[in-house]
Amino acid sequence: MSYLQLDAVAKHYGSRTVLRDVSIDLKAGEFVSLLGPSGCGKTTLLRIVAGFDQPDSGRVVLEGRDISGLAPAKRQMGMVFQAYSLFPNMTAQENVQFGLRVRRQDAAAQQKRAREVLELVGLAEHAQKYPHQLSGGQQQRVALARALAISPALLLLDEPLSALDAKVRVQLRDEIRRIQQETGVTTLFVTHDQEEALSISDRVVVMHDGVLAQVGEPAAIYGEPANIFVARFVGAVAELPGVVADGSGGMVTVLGRQVAASRARGMAAGTRVYFLLRPETVRLGPPDAAGMLHGTVIARTFFGALTSLKVEITGGTDCVTAAMASGDAANIAIGSTVSVNWDPDSPRLLVA
Amino acid sequence: MSRPTHNLIPGLGLGVIGLYFVIPLVATGAFSLWEGGDKYGLAAYAALIHQPKLWQSLGLSVRLAIQTILVGLVVLVPAVFWLNLRVQRLRPLFDFLSVLPFVVPPIALVAGMTTLYTGPDWFVGTANYLVVPYVILALPYTYRALDVGMRALDLKTLTEASQSLGAGWMTLILRVVVPNLTTALIGAALLTIAIVMGEFTFANILLFNTFAVYIDYVGQTSATQAAALTLLSFLITWLAMLGVLFTGRGGRGQVQIGGAR
Ligand SMILES: Nc1ncnc2c1ncn2[C@@H]1O[C@H](COP(=O)(O)OP(=O)(O)OP(=O)(O)O)[C@@H](O)[C@H]1O
Ligand SMILES: [Mg+2]
Repeated sequence: MSYLQLDAVAKHYGSRTVLRDVSIDLKAGEFVSLLGPSGCGKTTLLRIVAGFDQPDSGRVVLEGRDISGLAPAKRQMGMVFQAYSLFPNMTAQENVQFGLRVRRQDAAAQQKRAREVLELVGLAEHAQKYPHQLSGGQQQRVALARALAISPALLLLDEPLSALDAKVRVQLRDEIRRIQQETGVTTLFVTHDQEEALSISDRVVVMHDGVLAQVGEPAAIYGEPANIFVARFVGAVAELPGVVADGSGGMVTVLGRQVAASRARGMAAGTRVYFLLRPETVRLGPPDAAGMLHGTVIARTFFGALTSLKVEITGGTDCVTAAMASGDAANIAIGSTVSVNWDPDSPRLLVA
Repeated sequence: MSRPTHNLIPGLGLGVIGLYFVIPLVATGAFSLWEGGDKYGLAAYAALIHQPKLWQSLGLSVRLAIQTILVGLVVLVPAVFWLNLRVQRLRPLFDFLSVLPFVVPPIALVAGMTTLYTGPDWFVGTANYLVVPYVILALPYTYRALDVGMRALDLKTLTEASQSLGAGWMTLILRVVVPNLTTALIGAALLTIAIVMGEFTFANILLFNTFAVYIDYVGQTSATQAAALTLLSFLITWLAMLGVLFTGRGGRGQVQIGGAR
């Protein structure tokens, strides 16, 4: 049985539909990310789970109990916000103890628990500092500790890393995952950063305009996008117009050439498809007749270990990006003509 | 690097303003020490201190000031909190209401009050009754101070954070909102004290012997004592300020607005 169940949750603001019958199930101990572009309704959904917003219809069920009508204070949910949310008048430790104090735990138990969670987030030695004496990353750690202190039924994180700089963001992201695994707390994590979502989640929920675009494990979201929105939103992808040429042989006509794509097997000839190539599956080689497509290198972007080369396919303005080891890319000059190849299993086809 | 011209002009301005305040005070002080002819001394002060009525009126005004502060805050803290958290669109209405005391002359308020308010004798029959108009008089200042203080806080996030931790509204306001408003509360309290200590119209018409009424009465009987009393009232206001500031500092919340870096 699922631990948290969102059952056809819908929400409107005025005439604007923000959530359309969203249903998600979380298993106990699972780390699920809500991923989607700005304005797609992630925060709204999280706030409905937390009880700060009421759905127009649908239910929020926690451990078999409908909590839709329950006040936020009664839901036992730990929440970390995007904005810094520590109480400025309290030290880190007092912040962490706040939820316990509200629950009238005795002072010794409060202090013990506060020390535990502050240690968990690596801030034990900063317990007596006020929020303004802590860095942004440290403040978010304290906020996490504060949310964990009450042993929440559910941990809700709304883009807790977005105000932090890149390095701290990666550190804290990994730490959130470690802490989640150590504590086993079921977690719903909102982000618009796909790398964040893919790297730390058990499952990712991709949202688009208030509907679920796809729900699945990170590898499946990346490798088997269910629709063109997910393909475009998660990871880089080259998108070429194609028509299935031969359903039994696995051939697709792309830009006037017949190319191999094993996923075309079983599709009716004549079906229009998006022909999708991830940069890391594209191989560039010397121009020869055996190449699947040909093109001209028009741009180069250096990422350190990897370099991506942008290739304009001959006979059109469509481009394909190839990611390769920087050493190999150095041998290919901008303006040179190349063949574009791939393993027939690599291209993904989505019916257009 | 010295910039004499840059420093001179503001300095001069401050000096002139300072003189504008100090000269009357010094003159009042000198006059309060005058004992007729060319004799100077503390006779006026000595005479004042032995007036039990002075202490009664002073006590009354201080008590009224404290009551006014408490009533004003109990009413306004939740109201301004709610305004900032939930009903921002009512801000024009709040702004309008808060300046009404400037628009309606006290004399009209007093006339309205005497006809409108009836009630139990312990309230209407005693000086406690003055708290009602005083809260209204202090309203613009208290409202402004609280509003500025609350706007500087991220109320929505603080509210939601404390609710998700299980806190109710009372806990939220008393433990989270108020402690982060110390500066605003001190400001509101100071202004209220200043208003109540100096308020004359209501007390005089409703026949209560407050500090301001007593100053007026003394002024009619002894000019030097009135001057001494005026200085005394300055001193009280200043002491009040220092006292309130000091307690504000003494509290532990070294509040820095904005919190984050
Ligand atoms: N209180 C509200 N009143 C009116 N519209 C709202 C309200 N809250 C959210 N919306 C609208 O609902 C939509 C979804 O908002 P939401 O905050 O859930 O998006 P989001 O996915 O969290 O975006 P972001 O990544 O920018 O935080 C937005 O278009 C927003 O304008
Ligand atoms: Mg959001």
